[in-house]
Amino acid sequence: MAKHQTSPQSASSQGANSQDANHTLEPFFILHKAQPQATVVEKVSKSRKGRKKGIESSPKSPEKSKRTTSDEQPSNTLYEQWWFKAFNEIWSLIQSSIEGVLRDINLKLFNEVLQWIEDSFSEIKSNVKLSSSEILQPYPLLADTLCRKIPTAFVLTKNAEFVDDIQTFCDLGSHLKANRCHVANMSALDFSLKFGIGGSVRSLLRQLHSEPLDGKIADMLTLAKWYCEEEKNDKPIVVMIDDMECCNADVLGNFITMLSEWVMKIPIFFIMGVATTIEAPKNMLPSDALQHLNPSKLTLGTPSDRMNSLVESVLVEVCYCFSLGHEVSVFLRNYFLRHDGTITSFISALKLACSKHFSLESVSFLGLYMLDQDSEERWSEKFVYLPESMKRCVLNLHSCKSEKNLQGGVGSIVQQLSDLKASQRFWSSVVLCLFEVARYSKMQFLDIFCEATDPKMYCMNGSENSLKKHFRCGDKNSTARSSSGVGSITRVIHTIREMPVAALSNLLDKWNNHTEEMTEINEEVKKLQSVLASVDEGKVYEENLHNIRNRKSVSVISGKRNSANEKVAMLLDAMIRKYMKPLECMTLHEIICFRDVDVLQSGLIGDPRKTIQLDLLKCHSYLSCSCFSSDAKNLSPSMHDTSIMYKLAQEFGDVINLYEWYQSFKTVLTSSSQTSRKRGRPSPASKKAKPLPPSETEALIQARFCGAVTELQISGLLRMPTKRRPDFIQRIAFGL
Amino acid sequence: MAPKRKKVEVEEEEARAQEEVEEEDEEEEEEELAFSRNYFLAKEVGSASGKRSAARKVSEINLVDEQLLRASLSELPTKHEKEIGSLLESYKGLYSNWLFELRCGFGLLMYGFGSKKALLEDFASSTLTSYTVVVINGYLASVNLKQVMTTIAEILWEHYKCKAKRSTGKKQQTQLPNGLKSVDDIVTFIVDISDDCNCSVCLVIHNIDGPALRDPDSQQHLARVSCCSCICLVASIDHVNAPLLWDKKMVYTQFKWSWHHVPTFVPYKVEGLFNPLILFSSGHVQTTKTALVVLQSLTPNAQSVFRVLAEFQLANEKEEGMHVSELYTKCREQFLVSSQVTLNAHLTEFKDHKLVKMRRHSDGQDCLHIPLPTNALEKLLQELV
Repeated sequence: MAKHQTSPQSASSQGANSQDANHTLEPFFILHKAQPQATVVEKVSKSRKGRKKGIESSPKSPEKSKRTTSDEQPSNTLYEQWWFKAFNEIWSLIQSSIEGVLRDINLKLFNEVLQWIEDSFSEIKSNVKLSSSEILQPYPLLADTLCRKIPTAFVLTKNAEFVDDIQTFCDLGSHLKANRCHVANMSALDFSLKFGIGGSVRSLLRQLHSEPLDGKIADMLTLAKWYCEEEKNDKPIVVMIDDMECCNADVLGNFITMLSEWVMKIPIFFIMGVATTIEAPKNMLPSDALQHLNPSKLTLGTPSDRMNSLVESVLVEVCYCFSLGHEVSVFLRNYFLRHDGTITSFISALKLACSKHFSLESVSFLGLYMLDQDSEERWSEKFVYLPESMKRCVLNLHSCKSEKNLQGGVGSIVQQLSDLKASQRFWSSVVLCLFEVARYSKMQFLDIFCEATDPKMYCMNGSENSLKKHFRCGDKNSTARSSSGVGSITRVIHTIREMPVAALSNLLDKWNNHTEEMTEINEEVKKLQSVLASVDEGKVYEENLHNIRNRKSVSVISGKRNSANEKVAMLLDAMIRKYMKPLECMTLHEIICFRDVDVLQSGLIGDPRKTIQLDLLKCHSYLSCSCFSSDAKNLSPSMHDTSIMYKLAQEFGDVINLYEWYQSFKTVLTSSSQTSRKRGRPSPASKKAKPLPPSETEALIQARFCGAVTELQISGLLRMPTKRRPDFIQRIAFGL
Repeated sequence: MAPKRKKVEVEEEEARAQEEVEEEDEEEEEEELAFSRNYFLAKEVGSASGKRSAARKVSEINLVDEQLLRASLSELPTKHEKEIGSLLESYKGLYSNWLFELRCGFGLLMYGFGSKKALLEDFASSTLTSYTVVVINGYLASVNLKQVMTTIAEILWEHYKCKAKRSTGKKQQTQLPNGLKSVDDIVTFIVDISDDCNCSVCLVIHNIDGPALRDPDSQQHLARVSCCSCICLVASIDHVNAPLLWDKKMVYTQFKWSWHHVPTFVPYKVEGLFNPLILFSSGHVQTTKTALVVLQSLTPNAQSVFRVLAEFQLANEKEEGMHVSELYTKCREQFLVSSQVTLNAHLTEFKDHKLVKMRRHSDGQDCLHIPLPTNALEKLLQELV
């Protein structure tokens, strides 16, 4: 149920309006200062306070709840606190899960980088040993030219959008800092032509110095002095540039050349992110800078690998306190695949979905207790003090309307919530089992996730026959379906049939862990494990892939369904049928399930180009006035001026003659009948025939015309006349 | 001397050629114009006037006085005031959701047709009471981001000092805002101290796509400030291409926009205050006015010379221009100039102010031409009494 929208206090709005006149022409002003009693800092991302504490502070205590229950209309602020606490707790959980996943994925690369730095550093240390006075000498040391090369790691990000890699480089920086390195995390902004090499050095020093430079000259000597300080000269300096290709080549080239002069005295390492190919630095940097680099190549994981891990840990493992409906899942999948393919945009979309869920669903705060071991007790306690209106909200949820059991009272609601929690746990276990197979066959987890959340698929699979039909016939439709992500589960089952015994054995080991809560299934898994163990392994290893594929087809044709593969496939089939009930098929799912795809889409992708034009063309739908009632398509003088003008502009080509536009506008404003408006540009004769009504003076029409053109200009829908074409305005937006 | 003279001649020649090219371009554009419009409109225009280029001029509109028009504009009654009022009222129900999203760490980006100034300020004053609200009127070209950032830094610094005072023994490590020089320094200062500030500041930016803020540097500064933990952002955009101001890093990791479609249909009165009025800004109207001002500042004799040229041009519309020698003869007859040198002095003055242009006549001689349409020229002569 959507939350009741309450009108906020508008007492101060009058005051604000009166101040308006004074402030409109000031470039900026302070509207008001924070009220002292209300100043509460809520740093969402940083709030990692104990959850218990947060819940205790919510109005669960009898004193507060008495006030609310007696009123029957508790203040909205009270609920807002609940919703915000729930969001805060759950998003913190999701965010820490995301951070953990991304860190784990990159850990291998991070260790690789660290190893490379340590090796190079120890090599440099063993070759060159300098005193502080030597380091501080302003002239370069004469030595082997090889030593003047800066060890450089080009990290191939495999991602045209570097936005995902910003966090990776930050994490890498933290990892290196924690492992005895001085780290400066620089970006393309530090290598701009505007600030030149001075800006780059300044930024480098600023990052290395923990304190502000305080007027110190930003040069290499300052860096050398800093490096000679106590306990600093036994660590390497790592300069990271996350998006090397976006830097100004000349500035970066000069920076490299300058650092190379000092590399013998100060051990500097470069780590540069390269989005395209390893050839990019060669093409971009000047040759004299390139010769000072000693390059090596490292590679980051692909976005789809990261996405798989995210889906597994965030959407499936943490799904029992907040989850996505099928439509939202499909939207997010398409948003990832078609919008920009960045993890960052996906995470921000997920966060927006989470916040929209808690701000729009009034009973969403109950989902917070899903996290507790003693959820039932917590719900029971909460329901005792919950206002009647809120209890009604629970009972009025769409999924509850058909449930007669719920009318029994608090006990039955709590029972349903427990069932919901248990069902989600089972669902997530089965999906994790599916993912294990998908990992083997390199399928996208997001496709499987979308299919697993589809309530229609579950309804279709409701009867055993139809389920079998769906999966057995899947091979015919799978190709067509796989493109839309519909046939993914079918493909997973088919993959099992093709798996070699060794892989199957590994799979069952993993299933054994995932199915611990489903006793019946877990026993079956163990039985299959023992069956597989008894299979002659030597024979299995001799089978090549070709034979395995043949075996599958032969087994299907000859009807040998008792093979181990077939048994595992059947087990998965049974698991799906029994335990993979999509959330949207459960009673009370609204509490933890976000389904409003339109809200998410509009919050995520504002399309001002289309929307502003639609506003003008359909102003009647926003300003529901009686004058629009007859026929909204016709222009009437009472319509919004800019709307009339924009509708008239539709009848012109790419340029609008101001005179003609004005005459059309004038005719609309002065006309009393609607019939003549159908013509694009009325003839001058007809214009002359219509006398101006006394109320509308020429000045007023011209003022309205000028005002409307200004408004269209502010909206960016027109380009003002040029000197050469003073009588024409250019249209900018065509079509929606 | 000779080569110099030659050089001057060459330059004049080039200038003339340039002018000719410009005129040709203009003609080509007119042709393009006719083709680019849809067939029926082009045909109708052609048949109505019987000319190749049949575009009607703004000067053909019977324009009222600019002052009167401005006065009418300021007093213009708003259409559908009641409906607009109820539309704005309906948004009040969303204030709590907007606040929720701000608290969740999103920035609010309001878009849709109509001025959102009153809406945002009403939201800020009624709902954002726990925040110190700084409003930036981005629609003004006079916005100085450095001053804005300094004000924000001062607000944060105030809180930072209070906090440092309370926690005894804590040394104030960061420098005062007074010592900060560039916007970059101030933004860095804000970012540095924001984590330690026990306050919430909300920046309300009317038209974050406004003239003074739409440059990449300003957007970068705003983006950096917006991701500070104690600062949140509520902004409005009006331009359809405003999203092009931001890259993905700014959108997803800094501004973190939550888009809200809130058409208000409130007139852009303040936002469009400094925009020129279209009927008075277009070419000839403005040129006639400027020409009048220039001519009035010249000597009566110079004015009369211009009048001679203008009258000739009006009488011989089909002619390409008036020969310099012909002008000299006529002016001499009327005792306006005594020598060619005096006439040349006047002509130089006219050319400098672009009142007169030189053209190459089809007979090969140079001729003079006033680059104004007939009606504008008539009006100019009437006013030049």
